[in-house]
Amino acid sequence: MLGWEFPPLLTGGLGQACYGLFKALSNHADLTVIIPRSEKSLKLKNIKIIGLNNLGLESSEVEEEEISLEDFADVRYIDADLNPYPINTAFFSDPAFSLETLALKDPEEIRALYNTSETYGPNIMQKVATYTEIVSDIAKTKSFDIIHAHDWITFPAALKIKEATGKPLVVHVHSLETDRVGVNARNTVYDIELATLEAADKIIPVSKFTRDCIIKNYGIDEKKIFPIYNSIDPIETFREEKKIREKIIAFVGRITYQKGPELMIETAERLSKKVDNFKFVIAGTGDRLKDIIKMSAEKGLSDKFIFTGFLSKKYVNRLLAQADVYFMPSVSEPFGLSALEASQFGVPCVLSKQSGVVEVLPNVLKANCWDVDKLSNYLYALLNYEGIRKHLIEHTKKDIDRMSWTHSADQVMEVYRQIA
Amino acid sequence: MTSICFYFQVHQPFRLKDFNFFKIGSDHFYENDNQNKELLYRIADKSYLPANQKILDLIHQSGGKFRVSYSISGTALEQFEAYRPDVIESFRDLVKTGCVEILAETYYHSLSFLYSKSEFERQVKKHSDKVKALLGVEPKVFRNTELIYNNDIAAAINKMGYKAILCEGVDRILNERSPNFVYKAAGSGMNCLLKNYKLSDDIAFRFSNQNWDEYPLTAPKFANWVHSVAGNGEVINLFMDYETFGEHQWAESGIFRFLEHLPMEVLKHPDFDFKTPSEIVDTYPAKGVYDAPFFTSWADEERDLSAWLENSMQGEAIKRIYNLEQKVLQKGQKELVEVWGKLQTSDHFYYMSTKFWNDGDVHKYFSPYDSPFDAYINYMNVLSDFELCI
Repeated sequence: MLGWEFPPLLTGGLGQACYGLFKALSNHADLTVIIPRSEKSLKLKNIKIIGLNNLGLESSEVEEEEISLEDFADVRYIDADLNPYPINTAFFSDPAFSLETLALKDPEEIRALYNTSETYGPNIMQKVATYTEIVSDIAKTKSFDIIHAHDWITFPAALKIKEATGKPLVVHVHSLETDRVGVNARNTVYDIELATLEAADKIIPVSKFTRDCIIKNYGIDEKKIFPIYNSIDPIETFREEKKIREKIIAFVGRITYQKGPELMIETAERLSKKVDNFKFVIAGTGDRLKDIIKMSAEKGLSDKFIFTGFLSKKYVNRLLAQADVYFMPSVSEPFGLSALEASQFGVPCVLSKQSGVVEVLPNVLKANCWDVDKLSNYLYALLNYEGIRKHLIEHTKKDIDRMSWTHSADQVMEVYRQIA
Repeated sequence: MTSICFYFQVHQPFRLKDFNFFKIGSDHFYENDNQNKELLYRIADKSYLPANQKILDLIHQSGGKFRVSYSISGTALEQFEAYRPDVIESFRDLVKTGCVEILAETYYHSLSFLYSKSEFERQVKKHSDKVKALLGVEPKVFRNTELIYNNDIAAAINKMGYKAILCEGVDRILNERSPNFVYKAAGSGMNCLLKNYKLSDDIAFRFSNQNWDEYPLTAPKFANWVHSVAGNGEVINLFMDYETFGEHQWAESGIFRFLEHLPMEVLKHPDFDFKTPSEIVDTYPAKGVYDAPFFTSWADEERDLSAWLENSMQGEAIKRIYNLEQKVLQKGQKELVEVWGKLQTSDHFYYMSTKFWNDGDVHKYFSPYDSPFDAYINYMNVLSDFELCI
């Protein structure tokens, strides 16, 4: 299992989804998870975790009893990487560029490379290159049946292991360069994704929406693609008295192109022409944050927005416990776990149709991300009409209660069986 | 003798236009004129006119032996007047034959009985006046919206002077008894005609279903089923939407050919004939008591009110529209009273049904909206504006 983000350090849904899936999968398969950085506090039953930050040290492999994600006192969403994904491609536009030459060799240097809370960062390519070399070396010493890789940062390593061993490769797609940068993205990351998707034996996107993107933007044969939805573990939720008079429209996530932050401003503008009883609370940061703050000020909407910056899991939960509506107008969202979290807290959702999560949440309001009229109409309804709030909350609770990572893990096992 | 009693429902609602919250307080016209007009043209040409012509021919060919009844909602009549007066003309031709009975209903095809008895009576009267004005006859037999029925409705209708009421033949009330007789409503003793849902739905819902093991349904086969009732029933009530002919079941399915041959096939048996609802109750005395303490309807498997009143959206919307009764009537503006009436049409609440939302189904087919949520939100926006107007 080749992963990148993992608790307790998270920047988005990738680490959370991997965590939920690995835990459920570990009941059926022996997992060795190789990630750039592991923490000693993270111990999982039946799962061998190798963190490159601990490479060569005694504790690099940890195997112990299970604890839940919520048990971490300090699950941290890292704010160091404003926008981890669209990486600076000029960095390796040199035709002579190759991953091999970038890779670090010295164990001390390697440990230092990953011993940072910055999961991506400007030297991301060096991290990827080094990960590729080390992981393919580690693979030589292990016996395994399947290579399962999560997102582009692990793909070069996966390809290398496949070439060396001929073992079947499962590629799990949580996000694509065409989601992060736009459908016309054609860069090194895209090339890495394309080569790996082509070489993969099976591809598991996190939604049918993403399956369609893989077919359309990468030209991959539909027959080897099996969408498997993310899920969510049940937790104790609560409601909390609001501190402000207005109704809260909440968003939690990175403020990047992909999330459609401009659409939030436009929707707020539309709403504010008619009603005054709302505030957008935007929790997260990203490369578009400054632009958005500026844009909201220019449109005279400063008093309609609260930008909290990054919030720890604890405060995200408190925000959701106070929120009246969850709003995610993403331009291209492979899944959108935050909508499941909001639903878990009984917050009715307005989501874009360009998101995978709407495929598992029939009782939300969804519109095309560019349809600002419709999105604002939906927000207005959820702020003003009790009947639909009640209906969506009640029925979404049932939808959420039916979800389980075990079900997703069963489907992954089914994919494994087809190739191993 | 066994009589076949056909009743066809003709109804078109005034569908609402896309009413974004932005329009609240600034736009007071709610109807989707273009869509209503377009749909009416389509259904008139595909269904109402060809079916009327076919039935007129059959009445003539059978020497008046083929007889049917219709209920035409006030909202449908208004739209015919506005867009397709030729449809009214063709119904007039049918009525003139003396073989066609027109039934009473609530003008706005509403659920008013459930929320306001006075509004219910106002609408039944308004409908009766409209039918009289346009078709020259006064209805004597009543059918409520979607055959919604209980003992109280029968009693109210009895009191208003009607001679019979139509309803669904619900198994849990019939309790092994046959729907093929006239019954008396518990309490009021009102004559009840019970829909034979099996035979009715064979035509209305299953006719073109190729997975049905009786497919294809032919007139001789259907007549055969009807004839098998001989000796075990006096009336077979075949109640259905008129749009069955040409709209729900396309012309290509052979539905018109089926209709064309059915009367002659049924009449081949000397003990069978066709009668209208009034003729049925004039001919056959009631055979038992039909006791419906709770509401029933002809909708879905449940045959209850759940298609209109199950979820919290429907509950909120309908309560809000009926809460306005006093204010609207006090204000006394004819136009406002009419708008209020049109907003009571049951279709608006049907579009909000989430019964089949998770798997999609018949409700979606009959809805102009993408989702029940859109139906609700649009209605509530319109209602919000209407509340401002009064």
